[in-house]
Amino acid sequence: MTDPLLKPDSHETKPDWGLMSWICSVDHKRIGIMYMLLAVFFLLVGGFEALLIRVQLATPMNDFVSPQMYNQLFTLHGTTMIFLVGMPVFTGFSNFIVPLMIGAKDVAFPRLNAMSFWMLPFGGALLYFSFFTGSAPDAGWFSYAPLSTRPFSSLPGVDYWIIGLAVMGIGSISGAINIVATVMCCRAPGMSMQRVPLFVWIMFMQAILIVITIPPLNSAIAMLLIDRWLGAAFFEPARGGSALLWQHFFWMFGHPEVYVFALPSFAIVSEVIPVFSRKPIYGYAFVAGSSTVIVLLSYTVWAHHMFAVGLGMGPNIFFAAATLLIALPTGVKIFNWTATLWGGSIRFTTAMMFAIAFLVQFVIGGLTGIMFAAVPVDWQLTDTYFVVAHFHYVLVGGIVFSLFAATYYWFPKITGRMLDERLGKLQFWLWVIGFNGTFGIQHFLGLMGMPRRVYQFADNPGWAVCNAISSAGAVLMAVGTLVLIWNIWRSLRNGKTSGVNPWQAFTLEWATSSPPPLENFDRIPEIRSRRPVWDLDHPELADWKTEKTPEDKGSRPSPAKTAAWAFVISEAIFFILLLVSYVVFNSGKTAEGPTANTVLDVNRTGFFTLVLLSSSLTFWIAERYLRRTNMRAFQLWLSFTILLGCIFIGGQVWEYYGLISSGVTINRNLFASTFFTVTGFHGLHVTGGIVALSIMLLMARSGYLTSKRSVVYNAVGIYWHFVDLVWIAVFSIIYLGYLQ
Amino acid sequence: MILMPELWNGSSPIWFAVGLVIIAYLAIFRRPKPAQFFALTLGLGFMTLAYVSPIGYLADGYVFSAHMVQHLLMLLIVPLCLVLSLPKDQLKSWFHSTGRLSTLKIISLIGWTGGVGAMWFWHVPSLCSISTESPLLGIVRDASFLLAGIAFWWPIYGPLKRTRLEPPVGIIYLFSACLGCTLLGIYITFTTTTVCPVFANPADSFGVMSRLSAAGLTPAVDQNLGGLLMWVPPCLLYVSAIISLLGRWYTNAEHDHSVSGVAGAT
Repeated sequence: MTDPLLKPDSHETKPDWGLMSWICSVDHKRIGIMYMLLAVFFLLVGGFEALLIRVQLATPMNDFVSPQMYNQLFTLHGTTMIFLVGMPVFTGFSNFIVPLMIGAKDVAFPRLNAMSFWMLPFGGALLYFSFFTGSAPDAGWFSYAPLSTRPFSSLPGVDYWIIGLAVMGIGSISGAINIVATVMCCRAPGMSMQRVPLFVWIMFMQAILIVITIPPLNSAIAMLLIDRWLGAAFFEPARGGSALLWQHFFWMFGHPEVYVFALPSFAIVSEVIPVFSRKPIYGYAFVAGSSTVIVLLSYTVWAHHMFAVGLGMGPNIFFAAATLLIALPTGVKIFNWTATLWGGSIRFTTAMMFAIAFLVQFVIGGLTGIMFAAVPVDWQLTDTYFVVAHFHYVLVGGIVFSLFAATYYWFPKITGRMLDERLGKLQFWLWVIGFNGTFGIQHFLGLMGMPRRVYQFADNPGWAVCNAISSAGAVLMAVGTLVLIWNIWRSLRNGKTSGVNPWQAFTLEWATSSPPPLENFDRIPEIRSRRPVWDLDHPELADWKTEKTPEDKGSRPSPAKTAAWAFVISEAIFFILLLVSYVVFNSGKTAEGPTANTVLDVNRTGFFTLVLLSSSLTFWIAERYLRRTNMRAFQLWLSFTILLGCIFIGGQVWEYYGLISSGVTINRNLFASTFFTVTGFHGLHVTGGIVALSIMLLMARSGYLTSKRSVVYNAVGIYWHFVDLVWIAVFSIIYLGYLQ
Repeated sequence: MILMPELWNGSSPIWFAVGLVIIAYLAIFRRPKPAQFFALTLGLGFMTLAYVSPIGYLADGYVFSAHMVQHLLMLLIVPLCLVLSLPKDQLKSWFHSTGRLSTLKIISLIGWTGGVGAMWFWHVPSLCSISTESPLLGIVRDASFLLAGIAFWWPIYGPLKRTRLEPPVGIIYLFSACLGCTLLGIYITFTTTTVCPVFANPADSFGVMSRLSAAGLTPAVDQNLGGLLMWVPPCLLYVSAIISLLGRWYTNAEHDHSVSGVAGAT
């Protein structure tokens, strides 16, 4: 067994366990644990909601809850499980494990990490506060328009849903940017990107996916909020809007979101199965590469959620084909894991059993997913319990099971205590029977035509008994969860201590003490392969002796610039979707009321465009002076840049004043709504940029910003040039009429 | 319908261009490897089909989706084959290094802008119609597609290693190009505007259009299909290229091994 490279008590003798030490912590491990605890709390809340749903559906024509309450329950169950359980728990594992696996002291931005976390309880509180207003959201977790618009949901439930999601979205994106920067910039010497453990690579891919997949949701909820509060009509067909646009935007987020969950499961299983098979993963490059391909393809299949809305034959065929294709990179991995098991010296620990159950159940969920790729099958089964069964096989049978595998696998590292294997196996069987009992039978209910989201079902032949079985299964899962909680409680109180590497695992987190000390490692073992701890424990059989992996070239990008690029990419997608909505609503037909041709002064805005673009030039000149350490000239040109930004904003205020005083307000027609939304958000970004530049100026004046510490300035520069670039697109499309 | 002899244009001047390219290729490179010569013939074969087969006829103001297929062949498939047909050793001896990083950055910028920009540029409604109606402008457009396509593939599969992007950067290059064509594809698929008005009311000399309409290919469906062709097949091609880059990235251990030692600090 590996010697601990750092004794737990060599750094801090008595860690502070007080409440304030947790609230104020910026340590990635504590933040990771807080993410997990928050997820467990909301798992209990969301699980309780699920139980109430199953109680309601236990017998035909039951009236345990009202229809209104039932709608609120399934809406909140979905929203909670997605945003307050699934995303936080994986972010928690990522936070705790990734820096340890790459031999880093912490994440790239510890304070940002704390902020990302605290956005989450804030968002969750907002979401659940809606109960106190007497109107929890009840339009489903995807809040389809026009049901979610003001005429059909006049109470504030949907507003809380929007604000809650927006707040949590900010946390998710900043958390993901942090992971991206950590993996790219903080790897220990020797760990090339091709040598990172699969967990790290796949969580890196997941973080990238979060960065590009949350913006469509943000665009959609921003527009829905403007509809609801400011009287626009983006999603109200009765006033010229498009309910389908909501579906497109939502599923552009919603489908990749499935992979935001599935990828971490793949990551977990890719660690657990090799360790308990005593073999390296079979086909590392295939698992890593197919995860990358999933990120790319997941963006091309969203419309398969919309086969039933009448997109037309062409789009249906193309999306069906793309959906079938995405099964390939997922299928590849199933073969990789199976081949890893093949011939391995398998240890059936609880973690391994959950991982194997994941394999089987995920394949079932995947195969029913492939059935849905066939458009006629989708037409027949959409909105039935077959869909509910399908996605619960993916989300629960696949993802939650992998989560349990992760819990049993990493619990010793996180707490220093072993979980009881006997209780673990009891929980495993309760869950396997309970889960398959609850959701397996729902395939048949769906085939028999039972619709989802209806609070009562008629006593059709066979329905009552199937639903009763389903509800009984849910009770077994609840009991299984209680067993897990009891197991954790018992183990924390008087569980067996785990030691450094209880599973004889391969990756770096198992080279430090359990739990790891504040800065994780004193000394990092030499990294020459993908399994450094294996190499350390078995020098005669070290991986690097038999398999060459690309050497680390040693260069790491700057965290600030990496984060700025990731942020800019995320924002670019947000703007692209706002511009798409502009083009959708302003091309082809002449709208009633004001249009771009009739109310906009192209020449005047053209002048302000030149002002904004020249600010990029002055910024660049300032940057050159900073590099040459000519601070006076630097401050002068930076001030000039700020001034140009302010002039541009002044021009926008002038334009808005003119428009509003001539009656062109955001609720006037769709041109006005899209115009004010796009230019307004751009104006907000310019304002944010001016604030950032002013902070830079103040830092320069106080002597903090120097040529040697200019990386923050360079990062701000990436943002400032981006804002200018967005304006070129906005000006071309809105003012010059390109694409109309 | 593909068998209708009226739709095949056997006397297209493209044969002349193809012959010229083969003669020039053999004159310059003398003894190419069989795989490279195969890539050349494959590329030229696709180019010939793009003009001689019914695609060429229908693309000429009749069917927007055929016009899109022709563009995709000229912008993506043919240039890719041509780039792959270039012998590495000979080109290496012709081009000398001029500051690797800056050259590579400029080549990539030109390649990306050319590859993605060409599609966006030629589908501004007015330009799309004019270039379809005017034979001269049509030649300019197709030649620009070919050149832009070669520039686009150069940083990925170019014969000179020093002008190839590192695989991770290449992945970003290809993925962002996929986003570029996705956006244009989405626009063409779902917009109610007629992107290329010349295709809205074609003169139906052989009665092809009435048969196509009867089969359900109305101008609206046609544009729909054109947009989807712009959107999905290029992305699939880019994803395939990304897979090959990933393969290159994970298997270049031996090359890297000789170049660098164990790394420095974070």
